[in-house]
Amino acid sequence: MARLTPTGYLLPSIHSVPPFFTEQPNPTTQATLTEQWTRLILSYARHRRLFFIRIEDAETTGGDWDEVLRNEQINRRVMPAHLSSLLATLVAKNLAVYEPPKQTRSVLLFWRSPEEWGETLHEWATSTGQLNTILTFYEIEDPPVPSPLSGIPTALLRKAIASLSKTGRAQIIGAADGEGVRLFAGTGK
Amino acid sequence: MPPTILNAYAKPVDNTIPVQALLYDDETLHASQDSVGLYDGPSKSAPHQSGTIHVTSHRIFFIADGGTPSNTLTSRTAEDESVGASLALDLAHVTQTEYYAGFLKSSAKITLHLTPPVRKAVQPPSSATTTTSSTSVKDFDDPFSTWECEICGNKNPPGLSPAARSVCALCGVPRSAVSLAAGSTPAPSRPLSVLRHPPDPTSTSASWHSRSLPSSAAHTPPTGSPAPSRGSIEEVRGVGQGSSKQVECPACTFLNHPYLRECEICGTALPSSKSGSSSSASKPGLTLSSKSAPTSRPTSPVGDVADLADGERYIKLSFRKGGDKPFYAVLKRTLKTKAWEVRIGYYGRRTNTGESSATTATARSGISGILQNVESSAMSTSTDMSHAFQDLEALMVKAQEMVKLAAELNERLSAAQQQRMSVNPYANANGAGVVEPEEATFIRSSLAQLGLQMKNAPVTQDMVKDERRWVEQLAKELAGVLQGDSVHEGMMRQRGIMGVDEAWGGWNRARGVALIPPTTLLQTLPLLPAHTSPPINTRKLTSGLTVLHMPPYAHTAFSVRFVGRIESGGPCTTVTFAQEEGLSVGLADEMIRDVERDGGICRDEVRGSGGMTAKSNAGAAEIRWWVNMFTGYVWDGQLDEH
Repeated sequence: MARLTPTGYLLPSIHSVPPFFTEQPNPTTQATLTEQWTRLILSYARHRRLFFIRIEDAETTGGDWDEVLRNEQINRRVMPAHLSSLLATLVAKNLAVYEPPKQTRSVLLFWRSPEEWGETLHEWATSTGQLNTILTFYEIEDPPVPSPLSGIPTALLRKAIASLSKTGRAQIIGAADGEGVRLFAGTGK
Repeated sequence: MPPTILNAYAKPVDNTIPVQALLYDDETLHASQDSVGLYDGPSKSAPHQSGTIHVTSHRIFFIADGGTPSNTLTSRTAEDESVGASLALDLAHVTQTEYYAGFLKSSAKITLHLTPPVRKAVQPPSSATTTTSSTSVKDFDDPFSTWECEICGNKNPPGLSPAARSVCALCGVPRSAVSLAAGSTPAPSRPLSVLRHPPDPTSTSASWHSRSLPSSAAHTPPTGSPAPSRGSIEEVRGVGQGSSKQVECPACTFLNHPYLRECEICGTALPSSKSGSSSSASKPGLTLSSKSAPTSRPTSPVGDVADLADGERYIKLSFRKGGDKPFYAVLKRTLKTKAWEVRIGYYGRRTNTGESSATTATARSGISGILQNVESSAMSTSTDMSHAFQDLEALMVKAQEMVKLAAELNERLSAAQQQRMSVNPYANANGAGVVEPEEATFIRSSLAQLGLQMKNAPVTQDMVKDERRWVEQLAKELAGVLQGDSVHEGMMRQRGIMGVDEAWGGWNRARGVALIPPTTLLQTLPLLPAHTSPPINTRKLTSGLTVLHMPPYAHTAFSVRFVGRIESGGPCTTVTFAQEEGLSVGLADEMIRDVERDGGICRDEVRGSGGMTAKSNAGAAEIRWWVNMFTGYVWDGQLDEH
C-alpha cells in the first residue's frame, strides 16, 4: 500500500516490501527492481527539487534522501553498493551524470532533461521579459522572485543553455565578474 | 706352567663353530690358510701345531684341526685353563710383523710382535687381584649386549667389534662407562663366566681369584640380572668385609642398594666407589693370599707377560704347507687399515670403497648418519606398505573367485531344489525331503557369513559380456539398492533426494566386492529411470553437484511447491524450508537458488539493522525468500505533477 511521507511524497507500495532493498542475483528481477528504483529516485527528486544524490546518503542518516533510501518500518535500507549500481544505471540511461565528473559517488539527476530545462529557462525569460538582455548565471539560479529555475546547479544550467545555443536561442557571454547568457526569441530553427 | 704369550693375548674360541659365525657384525674375513702352526714366543706351542689360520679385519683366528681338540686338553679340568686349542687374537695387539721366507726344512713364518700390556702401567704389579678392576672394562666387550646411547637414546645392536661398540652407531658419541655398565645386559651363555661363590668370608679370596681370569669378561653373575661391574665389585668387597654393602646417599643419607646409581629417595647421584681396587688392595689378607696362591699365577698372565722385554713378546705363525706370501700381504694390508679403530668420518671413507653393507649400516655417525637412518627406515616402511597392498590385491582376486564359487554353489542348490520340488511337490510334507534343504540352508548361511550372500549377488563385468547389457543389469541392481524390495528398505525410501556420491558409496557397500567405479555409475544413471518406479532421475545442480531424486524433487515440481509454500506460509529462510522438507541445508539452498534463477522468487537479505556503515555489507546475511512481486508491478506511488 502506498504511504505518504512527512514531506508529502506518496511512496509506492513496493517500498514496503523487504526484497526491494536487496540486490537480486536474477538479472530479470534485478532489472525490474532497478527500473522501479530509478523511477522512485527521480520522482522523489522532482518532488523535493533535489538535484544531487550521493553514496553518502545511503551511508549516513539525516540527509534529504532518508525517506526513500530507508524504511524504518520494515527495518531495511539501501546498501551503499546497491545505491552505487543504481546510480550507474541512472548514468547509463542518461538520466543523470556524475557531477563533479571523474568520480562515481555523486550524480546530478536529470528529472528534467537538459533540453527540458532549456525550454523552461526560455519560457521563464520570455514570461519575465528578459529576452535579449544579459543574465548572469547567479540571476537565473537565485532570482529575487522564485522561479522554476531557482536553485538549479550551474552545471545543469550550463547544459540547458548549451541545448538552447544549438537552436540559436542563447549565447554565452564572458563577463568580468563571471559568465552571462543572452537569450533570444528565436523559434528554434 | 710358564707364562704363555698366547694365553695372555688370545681368547679361546669354540672351534666347532665356523669362523664366519664368530665374527662381529662389522668384521669381515679377509684370508684363510690351513696347515699352520703357532709358536708361543720362540718355542712351538704344543696344542697349536695343526690348524687353520684366518685373518679378519679385526682379529686373527686359529682354528685347530681334528674335530674337538679342545676336549682332548686334559688341562681343561683346571679352572683357570681357559685357552683351548682354538683361539682368537685381536689385531690391535700387533705392533709389528716380520716375515721369514723359510729355508730347506724350516717353514715360512710370520712373526707378530705384540704390544706391551697396558695394565702394568696402571695397576701396581704386585697386586694380581687389581687386574680385576681393570678387567671390569672388559665387561663392555661382551659382544652380545645391547646398550642405549645416553646422548641420542639409540639402541646399539649387539655383535659389533669392541671399538665400534664403544661408540654410538647413530650419533658417534663415545659410550661412557656408566652407561656401559648400566646398559649392558649380560648374555646368559657367556664364555668363561664364572659362578659366583656364596658370600662366605672364608672363601672370598678363592672366589676373587676365580673371577680374575685373564679373559674374564664375566663380572656380573650369570643369573641374568643386569649388574654394574662397579657394583659387583663393591658387593664382593662388602661381602668380604661383612660390613655395609649399601651406599649412603650424600644428600639424604638413605642407604641405597649398591646397584643403584642414583639415590632411591632424592635422586642424587651416589658416590661412585672407585675405591674398589684400592680397598681390595688395602686388604692385606686378600692380596697376600692371592699373590701367594699358586693357582693365581696363570689367572693374571698379563702381569707376568708384562715382565718380558719388548723383543720377547711375539708369536709366530708357521706355514707348513705354504700360502705364506699371499697371507702375509693380506695381513699387512689389514694391519694398515686398522679397522678396529673407530674414527668419525673414517667409516665414511670406507663406505665409499664399497665395503660390506654391514659396515656401512653400522658405521654412520653424526647428523648425516641420523638422516640416513631416517631415510632408510622410511624406505623400509614404504617397502612394507607396498608388500602389504600386494597382499590386498591378491585378496581381491581371490574374493572374486570366491564369489564365482559361491554363485555356482548357489545355482546348483537352487537347481536341485527346483528339481526336487517339480518331482515331488509334497516332499516337504514327509521327513525324507527335509535333509537336503537343511544342508542347503547351512551352505547358504555359511556363504552369507562370509559376506557372499547370493540372493543379491553383485553383478560383475565377467557375468555379462555385453557392455550395454551389463550397464542395464547394473541399473537394475542400483534400483534395488535405492528403492529396495518388499523386505529391504532402499536407501531412498525415506528420502526423495540424495547425492550421487552417497548413492555410490551405499551401492558399493551393498556389493561388497567387485566395486563399481564412479564412471560406471555415471553410465548407469541414465538407465535408472527405466528401472525404477517412481522413476529416479538425475539432476545436476548449479554448483555441479549431481543428485538422484524422486519426481517431487524435479525442478518444476520443487519450484511450484516452494513458491506455494512462500505464498501460503509467508517468506521463509532456507534453513526453515530445509527443516520442513527434511533436506540438508546445502541441498535445499542449491535447489532454491535454481528456483530463484527462474525468477519465481526473490530474496531479502536481512542485515544488521543498526549497521549504518558500509562495513555492514561484509557481514553474513540471512536470506529470506519472497515471492517475486516485481514482475507485473504497477507503479502506485506519487505521480509526477507536470
